[in-house]
Amino acid sequence: MKSYDVVVVGGGIIGLATAYYLVKNGVRKIAIIEKEYIGSGSTGRCGTGIRQQFTTKEHIVLMRESVKIWRLWEEILPKPIHFRQGGYLWLLRSEEEDNEYRKYVALQNLFGVDSRIISKDEIKEIVPDINLEGIFGASWCPSDGSAYPQDVLDSLEMFLKSHGVDIFDYESVVDFKKTSDRVISIKTDKDEYALDNLLIAAGYATKSLANKLGFDIPVKNYRHQIVVSEPLKIFLSPMVVDRSLYFTQTYRGRIIGGTDTNEEETDDLTLTYNFLQKFSSELVSVFSKLSSVRLMRHWSGFYVVSPDKHPILGPTPLKNVFIGTGYSGHGFMLGPIVGKLLAHYITYGMFFLEEANHLTLDRFEKGMLIQEKAVIG
Amino acid sequence: MEIFEHPILRFERKSKITFFFEGNPVEAYPQETVAMALYRNGINVFSYSPKLHRPRGLFCAIGKCSSCLMEVNGIPNVRTCILNVQEGMKVKRQNGLGDLPKTSEFLKSEKEYSPTVLVIGSGPAGLMASITLKEKGVDVLLIEQNPNLGGQLIKQTHKFFGSQKEKAGTRGIEIANELVKELNSLDVNYFTNTTLFSFYPRENVFLAFKDNELLKIFPKFVVFATGASEKMIPFEGNDLPNVMGAGAAQTLVNVYGIKVGTNVLMVGAGNVGLIVSYQLLQAGINVKAVVEASDKIGGYFVHAAKLTRFGVPIYTRTTIKKAVGVDKVEKAILVELDENFNETSKEFEIDVDAILLSVGLQPSYQLLAQAGCEMKYIPSLGGYVPLRSKELETSVKNFYIAGDVGGIEEASTAMLEGKLASLSILKKLGFDVEKEKEALELDLAKLRSTPFSKKILQGLKEVAYE
Ligand SMILES: Cc1cc2nc3c(=O)[nH]c(=O)nc-3n(C[C@H](O)[C@H](O)[C@H](O)COP(=O)(O)OP(=O)(O)OC[C@H]3O[C@@H](n4cnc5c(N)ncnc54)[C@H](O)[C@@H]3O)c2cc1C
Ligand code: FES
Repeated sequence: MKSYDVVVVGGGIIGLATAYYLVKNGVRKIAIIEKEYIGSGSTGRCGTGIRQQFTTKEHIVLMRESVKIWRLWEEILPKPIHFRQGGYLWLLRSEEEDNEYRKYVALQNLFGVDSRIISKDEIKEIVPDINLEGIFGASWCPSDGSAYPQDVLDSLEMFLKSHGVDIFDYESVVDFKKTSDRVISIKTDKDEYALDNLLIAAGYATKSLANKLGFDIPVKNYRHQIVVSEPLKIFLSPMVVDRSLYFTQTYRGRIIGGTDTNEEETDDLTLTYNFLQKFSSELVSVFSKLSSVRLMRHWSGFYVVSPDKHPILGPTPLKNVFIGTGYSGHGFMLGPIVGKLLAHYITYGMFFLEEANHLTLDRFEKGMLIQEKAVIG
Repeated sequence: MEIFEHPILRFERKSKITFFFEGNPVEAYPQETVAMALYRNGINVFSYSPKLHRPRGLFCAIGKCSSCLMEVNGIPNVRTCILNVQEGMKVKRQNGLGDLPKTSEFLKSEKEYSPTVLVIGSGPAGLMASITLKEKGVDVLLIEQNPNLGGQLIKQTHKFFGSQKEKAGTRGIEIANELVKELNSLDVNYFTNTTLFSFYPRENVFLAFKDNELLKIFPKFVVFATGASEKMIPFEGNDLPNVMGAGAAQTLVNVYGIKVGTNVLMVGAGNVGLIVSYQLLQAGINVKAVVEASDKIGGYFVHAAKLTRFGVPIYTRTTIKKAVGVDKVEKAILVELDENFNETSKEFEIDVDAILLSVGLQPSYQLLAQAGCEMKYIPSLGGYVPLRSKELETSVKNFYIAGDVGGIEEASTAMLEGKLASLSILKKLGFDVEKEKEALELDLAKLRSTPFSKKILQGLKEVAYE
């Protein structure tokens, strides 16, 4: 039986980013097991957005650190990941909203994020074609941005393979061998691997794998839908957020975006016309020149949502089992910092950021939930 | 480049209208598409590609390949081969990716339809399906993305083989005329210039655009009769304007009376290549040569003989290596192949201004795949095709197929399949059609009993399910 220092379940951004930092920490024998292809889960389906405009210290600090890594990765990873700091333009539609977001901006500034409230005139300068009717102002952060998920994963995969990490795709974890407080080996539909440490970063399936190991994670899966258009010449660099609508233009020229259709908890990824209709009418009302642009693809993926809409990171009741889940729609942007935090925890038994200490699974037992208000799409 | 005399066809050219190309006024006939009007006026370059700025023009001419995208009235990426010209229309070449549209208004209205049966595609299969259903009083809605009903039949000037019942001895265009006449006398509800582009199973809604109107269609049954499109083969310069599918040349010549070139090369000596070559000769176009990669002519002997009579050389074991030209084909470089289909050092060039590809067709399966029908790759049927029951029902309940979308054959089998799909639906609706169906299945089997059908029958076996 092959044996590994760390086995990572899940070939999404979290699995790959953690493996990247495990390599950096000097861990030698690492394997990633992915049920389908790398990126087949939520990462390959996400909206590409990366922002620091959040409403809690935990999210703001983690994302500030994550953006630093995104910038570094754009420079040092073997292939371009198309990280672009085009900003996030968060439209505000009333004076109350404006007042509320001023408080968030103050908090963001306190922790070193360069966001600010801007006027309609400034919005017009940033996105000239936006329809300003009914808009009061915007919360604007120029260092927010986006990256291209599949390029990020390809690049990380290339790095990991060249550093001796085993990546097993189209291989599914089906069972575990364990003692009372440790996992000894992991069984897949093809093989069995002995291990010292196990990270479950299996996205929507993290909870069910944990259940198999005898503990629960309070997360729920919600379907979220998203579309891309035909490509056009670049005319839009920020991510625009208008209530539950978000959209930007990828470096390949396609408009990518989504909206919230308030769906029930589900494990079904069927697409709906209801979404298409809501998205189109919201998009066209704020950016009417897009009305004749054709949509090319429509797909869906899961938001894995925790009770306080913050990630659940690190230790579990089993001594050598670690988890990363519950990003509630922000796991792509958090990927680099969460990977670094999880790798540190697995290597050294602790986090290196105080804020991450608040994000462990035992907070729910202890009743120490964190509340986040700015969740979109 | 207009054709004035033709042994079979008459081209109606009455009034003229004016539209603008790159700011210049251009004359066109109403009822013709933008792409055809441009060709008539000697314009072959429709856009420049995004990365390498290479010129691009027409390829399929039936709305299936996106090679003809241009900016029309401020909206980029418009398929000009299926858009009718209008007085005053502003048409521009697209340089790379399109610009953000200049107009803010697009969707003018929405309409809902709940037909018993939705038929997608108005070729022989779709027409037959619609007629068979409407004859029994079933409510049908027929959708066609091209300006004319009839699919590929409207450009077939040759007489069909097969049995009398399937209109053998009649020209394709006449069959199309007859079927359309029947469709109209039955008062079938149809829309042309309407592209059906999406299906959502949850709401059971099909979406289509007819100009600026969104059609929402909620059918009980669907017949997918979306046909096929021409395949491309790799060679240097294959994206040069006037390298196009043989079917596109047929559209230019036989539907609109426009010469595709003066001297042309046909690549592929299957039936399509041979028949189209002959039709070009009839229209006064010089077919310089036909090349065929295998060592045998694939099509029927009678078709090849007609070309030989005109003195057209058919080079077997030869293929195209390169298309040469700046904005349009000016020369073709050909190469002889050895018995393993490898290129030899024997190359020769011919001066041609159009290179037509008849290297096979592939089923237009995209909507079926989107609708979740189980698909399989079957080379002898042309590529990805849906699994289907004997009654032509796909793996998705109440979704039927007919014609080339289920496997490349020809118009007679397409008509019979269109009828069969409809009879299967009628049966589910409670009509007594058992006898008619049995007779039809016999006819279909008879049509497929020639040696040419062997591979097709084998392919059909692989996609059959109960
Ligand atoms: C429509 C949409 C838009 C989004 N937009 C954004 C955005 O703009 N910005 C942002 O930051 N986030 C966004 N998100 C959220 C983001 O995509 C996720 O939070 C993030 O990708 C989670 O990464 P992950 O690695 O935890 O999970 P995943 O990417 O889902 O990876 C988990 C992997 O585990 C594999 N797996 C599961 N079970 C097994 C098993 N038994 N054995 C082996 N492998 C298994 C899965 O196949 C999967 O590949 C969006 C999500 C959606 C659905
Ligand atoms: S879509 Fe117009 S040429 Fe193919």
